Amino acid sequence: MTQTTETIFSLAMPYRETLDIRRTVYKGGNGPRVAVTAGIHGDELEGLYVCHRLAAWLDQLQLSNPAALLGQVELYPALNPLGLDTLTRSVPVFDSDLNRSFPGSQQGDLPKRLAAAVMTALDGASLVVDIHASNIYLREIPQVRINSEFTDTLVPLAQQANLDMIWIHGAATVLEATVAHSLNSRNIPCLVVEMGVGMRLTPEYCEQLTIGLLHLWQGLGVLAPEVPLPPLTHHPMVADDSNVHYLNAQTSGLFVPAAAHWTDLRRGELLGTIVSPFHGAVLSEVRSPVDGILFTLREYPLVYEGSLMARVMARKGGAR
Amino acid sequence: MKRDLLLMTAPVRDSFDIPCHEIGPKSAHPAAAFVAGLHGDELNGIFILSRLADFLNGVEVGKHPGLKLLKKVLIIPAVNVLGVNLRCRTWPFDRSDMNRMFPGNVSGETTQRIALAVLNATKNAEYRVDLHTAGTDFEELPQVRLYSPSNEQREAARFFGLPAIMERSISPVFTTTLMHAWQVWPGQSFLLRVGQGGTVQLGHCQQVFRGLVSFLGRAGILEGVHLAEEDEEICHFKQGGSKRLYAGKAGTFVSDCQVGRWVSKGKELGYIYDSFSGNVIEKVEAPASGLLTGIRRHPLLFEGDLLLRINPKP
Repeated sequence: MTQTTETIFSLAMPYRETLDIRRTVYKGGNGPRVAVTAGIHGDELEGLYVCHRLAAWLDQLQLSNPAALLGQVELYPALNPLGLDTLTRSVPVFDSDLNRSFPGSQQGDLPKRLAAAVMTALDGASLVVDIHASNIYLREIPQVRINSEFTDTLVPLAQQANLDMIWIHGAATVLEATVAHSLNSRNIPCLVVEMGVGMRLTPEYCEQLTIGLLHLWQGLGVLAPEVPLPPLTHHPMVADDSNVHYLNAQTSGLFVPAAAHWTDLRRGELLGTIVSPFHGAVLSEVRSPVDGILFTLREYPLVYEGSLMARVMARKGGAR
Repeated sequence: MKRDLLLMTAPVRDSFDIPCHEIGPKSAHPAAAFVAGLHGDELNGIFILSRLADFLNGVEVGKHPGLKLLKKVLIIPAVNVLGVNLRCRTWPFDRSDMNRMFPGNVSGETTQRIALAVLNATKNAEYRVDLHTAGTDFEELPQVRLYSPSNEQREAARFFGLPAIMERSISPVFTTTLMHAWQVWPGQSFLLRVGQGGTVQLGHCQQVFRGLVSFLGRAGILEGVHLAEEDEEICHFKQGGSKRLYAGKAGTFVSDCQVGRWVSKGKELGYIYDSFSGNVIEKVEAPASGLLTGIRRHPLLFEGDLLLRINPKP
């Protein structure tokens, strides 16, 4: 078992510096290759910490039982290093969303070339997990989002990821330019994980996902079956476009939550208010439209008319 | 007449509106709808449409004898009003691209609500025109862009009299644009790309202003326009004919070339300097003979940036 950190893409910047995309590779036997990608949006940090936790676990394995790595693990914690280093969601200068630049091309500007290099690097992987952390506005429970085109392949994998929710969403052509869609349409299974909130870490969610990934890898034969793993503790509920309700602000102001994230709500229950800093009156009360679970909750308090404040999943079928 | 397309509240500022001009005879729907400023930094389009509104309002009050508006025209000089004021391409609150929000949603995000109001106001027009520029780094020759057009649309694109008509394929991201949302409605839709973002380029603006007036004349909306013989200089470039040159080296790019010139293969068009040492590291030459339809204007180059585009004579 070896561990190396290597550069998969390098591009010259206008004044002397180069942009490098680096990965860490743990190589064991000739078993399957798996990969974790993170930091494609520069304001999403949860996946960086998951990469660290996985690296720490693999470092330990290298000391205790190196023969147990039957395949290869690749960690790509920072696909948008310029964005991460400058608190910018998009690719700085190009002002473009890197996750709308796939599959990319060898010719063209930085986002396109970077995307193409990532596609080349991930080619042949048995499983890729792309970790996202919502944005700075909304907090999310740990979940996998699956495009309905790929349900058959991905749902069975997502069931084992130790997360709390699987959200199967309709196909939108605009999402065809994501890394996940580009990989899945080339028959490289890619799960998109969303959890936590932008510009922050939620260590308990990161631990939860880390355990899930180790189980997935063991299931695929990347880790030897006898390696002891912490038990799975979470089983996902399934949501789709029929049972997810969006709560958008009726007016502009400060949104003040009245319910905690990741709790059960009754229909009509107050989950927050919108108030004005200029007046004492409450401008709008936000109430749950259904009995369900508050799985998305606004973290950034200012809202414009239309801003998303919460999403509630109506329960259907099994309980938590 | 000024009308508010939409009135919205803001968290701590006053409520704001998206205003438009409605000019000409009363009718349920406009015959032509012009939209600009979906991106707040695309100032050429905003300037052109505000000047067009002034001109057509002048026609209505008899300032231009011999001209008469036969049908109603709708003009929205800027959709992203706050973006214009804050010099921001995107919607400044959440940095979302307003031209990725169509067809919009009455109960969705702020930008989706604005998108729906814009679509509803314009979708029934017989002719619809969305004006854009390139980004702030690049300059485009004033041109009509067509996306998988019909022959009728190809013909009508000549009404503008602009030097280039360029056909493009539809990308996945295009499905969320105003242009795409328009295409499911009867009538014809055009996208114009004019110059560079972040500035007003008077020459380009005057050319496109004349183009819009001539378009209104040829479309039978504005009576009395003196129409020149069809300009032989209009080039119609089919999809896939463009020759693009990307920067092989990073550095500082300097060029004094103007868009709209015919160049021959191998002609020197600029230089790339090493930004630290000042050495010339690459001479930039035309990769083909043809019309220079776009060129980079921001001097700082990353490796791989688009330097220029040349379209060989069709």
